[in-house]
Amino acid sequence: MAQKRCSKGPGLSQGEDLAADEDYALTQSGSQVQRNLERLSPAQVDQKVSELVQYLLVKDQKKIPIKRADILKNVIKDYRGVYSEIIKRAGRILQQVFGLQLVEIDPKYHMYILVSNLPRLEVENLKQDDCTAKLGLLTVILSFLFMKGNAAKESAVWEMLRRLRVDPGVRHEVFGDVKKLVTEEFVRQKYLEYNRIPHTDPPEFEFQWGARAAKETSKMQILRFVAKIQSKDPKAWSTQYNEAAAEEAAVGGLSQDTSTHGDTGGASQGARRRTR
Amino acid sequence: MATQMTDGHRRFLQVLMSHGIMEGSVARTLHRDCCEIHKVYYAHDKLDDFINVVNIHLQPFFMQIRKGMSEDDGRTYYALVNLAETEISKMASDYTENELELFRKTMDVIIISESGFASSTNILNLADQLRTKKMKKKEAEQVLQNLVQDKWLSERDGEYTLHTRCIMEMEQYILSNYQDLVRKCNICHSLAIQSQVCETCGIGMHLPCAGKYFKAQTEPHCPHCNEFWPHEIPEINRPDSQVPSSAPRERRRTSSSGTRRR
Amino acid sequence: MSEDAGSSGDSRQDSEEEPGQGSERAKPDGDHTDRRMLRHQYRQLINKVQQNREDMLSSRSNSLTDALQEANKLFSGVSQAREAALDAQFLVLASNLGKEKANELHSEMTVFDSPAFAEDLLTFMGLNRLEGEENDSDDGSIASGFLPNNAWHKLGAEAERYFRRSPSFHYMLGSFKADPPVPRQRMERQKRRAGTEEKRAMPAQLKKMEESHQEATEKEVERILGLLQTYFKDDPNIPISFFDFVIDPSSFARTVENIFHVSFIIRDGFARIKLDQDKLPVIEPSHEDEGRENDPNAQVRNQAVISLSYQDWKDIVETFEITEPMIPPPGVSQENES
Repeated sequence: MAQKRCSKGPGLSQGEDLAADEDYALTQSGSQVQRNLERLSPAQVDQKVSELVQYLLVKDQKKIPIKRADILKNVIKDYRGVYSEIIKRAGRILQQVFGLQLVEIDPKYHMYILVSNLPRLEVENLKQDDCTAKLGLLTVILSFLFMKGNAAKESAVWEMLRRLRVDPGVRHEVFGDVKKLVTEEFVRQKYLEYNRIPHTDPPEFEFQWGARAAKETSKMQILRFVAKIQSKDPKAWSTQYNEAAAEEAAVGGLSQDTSTHGDTGGASQGARRRTR
Repeated sequence: MATQMTDGHRRFLQVLMSHGIMEGSVARTLHRDCCEIHKVYYAHDKLDDFINVVNIHLQPFFMQIRKGMSEDDGRTYYALVNLAETEISKMASDYTENELELFRKTMDVIIISESGFASSTNILNLADQLRTKKMKKKEAEQVLQNLVQDKWLSERDGEYTLHTRCIMEMEQYILSNYQDLVRKCNICHSLAIQSQVCETCGIGMHLPCAGKYFKAQTEPHCPHCNEFWPHEIPEINRPDSQVPSSAPRERRRTSSSGTRRR
Repeated sequence: MSEDAGSSGDSRQDSEEEPGQGSERAKPDGDHTDRRMLRHQYRQLINKVQQNREDMLSSRSNSLTDALQEANKLFSGVSQAREAALDAQFLVLASNLGKEKANELHSEMTVFDSPAFAEDLLTFMGLNRLEGEENDSDDGSIASGFLPNNAWHKLGAEAERYFRRSPSFHYMLGSFKADPPVPRQRMERQKRRAGTEEKRAMPAQLKKMEESHQEATEKEVERILGLLQTYFKDDPNIPISFFDFVIDPSSFARTVENIFHVSFIIRDGFARIKLDQDKLPVIEPSHEDEGRENDPNAQVRNQAVISLSYQDWKDIVETFEITEPMIPPPGVSQENES
């Protein structure tokens, strides 16, 4: 498999080359891993698992997806032979101790995020800080995108946000450089996708949901949010409701446990309603 | 006793993770709520046992839920702390290198000070002496604001001291790194950043500890050398009163006038 | 668009498109200016419709109708192909929007109306419509009023319930590398004030140790001082690296002990530590006349507490390639030194 990828030749970027190398190093059969495991003491493996749990928690501070390449470089090091076992156990511990789920959001570049297994509750009071405010802004954007057919031009998004006194050209007292927050931070965190619309001159960009958004929330949840804000029944928006219900049924079938198994990221799920 | 974690424990841990530190009565309410939501065993007086189960599972990651006391009002707090400096712990991304240096220099000033407080002017003057990367005063002000928001420092009238969260996490570090500069409270034997100090023998006491200790005495004497205790005795409020009292501010003023005098 | 940029662009295009340049110039200025103005107005109108797409689509708004009426007015002044082309461009834009608006109305019970959503968000965030100034925005479609400081926090707290966002773990300890501690100013100051004895300035651990092991310590300090003086006499011109001197490559514990004992030699002024040209610490014995017997008060005592982790020790042993201790463990020293 690695052979095939490498033979694609000079067109490959450095990153892809590395990813291919890693895949080569990491495509081990279960029995291989088992053999490698036997060469190590249980304490050594436990130690690595603990380090990985610690690493994932620290890296989650900024909510930027964690790359497998970084995990290998910073934690796994000489334990590549048992990588799959270590990440599996770390996922289990995150679930058992912290109630968190380790989710792979990008099967190509192997990026991981953490999401909570415990539904948030009405009564629950989490700490309110600037991250909370940012989540408010993000939710408005995600709502707009979903309600408008899963994608929207950048200009339309700003037009909407200007009504809420958020202007890309004006420094916001909570968000600071809000253009940067929306087009860079949210994008790096994989809450949003931000892409140039082909054949536009001057270039125009559009937003879609990012893979993290699809994991941390859902179309139905966002529709419920919109319905709550607008004091309506979610079913009032029949097209959106049907789409959200269909997604819910599909995900529900997969059950909650999708941890660490490569299920395709949410970005592609956002098929554009309008273009159909 | 069961040592298995339930969703109740996990939810408690998650909420504490979000807050970093929590006042005792808030933690007790959370304990009750978590147990009720997930329908697991609950006994109102078993919070510490409940936390202990979590702590057993946190051990491999050098994390711990710690119980401590606020130097301001003597109330109990619970904080989720990191216990060790490791290769991985140093990858924290909340603060940049020079922001951390500013924090440590601030900590130096606070600890060296007699009062346990450093003025903002003093701290801002450190900003252009940073080794890692100099900082403008404006940036330093923002960093201080973040440190207060994140509960590493607390601020009163333009003066900064270490937040209870910081003391709870850093107590051992401070005791070993500032060995001969810091005091332990003569009553509770933990680290004391803000304290009243005996002018004769030099022992110190937390303000709430002094308040409790001298409560019944008409003429306060040092518990160590028996000399007259020259400070105003802080009044103590009930440990878990819901109403935030304005007393800490009052006390601070008297304590600093007492300790700063040469 | 600035006036300058607009007019220069126009003049360039004029010369390209219209061949009869000379006759164009000959026409009365008024006509030329009017046409330019008309084109400018068309472009503004097109721009406005593009920028306010959502407003145009909103079921609550008449903006699209207004824009069409404005275009009608402009069209009455059109006499040449260039202006007509702009009019056509506008109409394509307007009819596309109209189609979209009609589609949404047709296919759904309720259309998502983003201006209405924005209004409701503002209400949720606690917009105070009474206190706001009446005309604080030139765009009539944006609500005026005063938004409280915590508006976005409030919205975010609500949003949190629709997410499974993991709380993250934050800490201070361990986010930086522990460093040697700061000088002991406070105790010195307090000691002077309280007029207590010098002993108090000593770190508690050392004090305790000194009480119980005073004799042993003194002996060991003397032995090490003797070693230092011997090494120095052997080669007085070469400074002795502090690390070479105190580090025992086979024992971290011995290293710590050595540093502890050397600290007394330094404290008592029998030797001093300074930095060489490479900024590495070197140790040298003091001249006899600088010893503490002379006048302890005249000396400036500089004490520092050194922190040395196990890792530091390993690193130093490796970096400086220390293979043998310069201070042999007590007891074996005699045999080894021969």
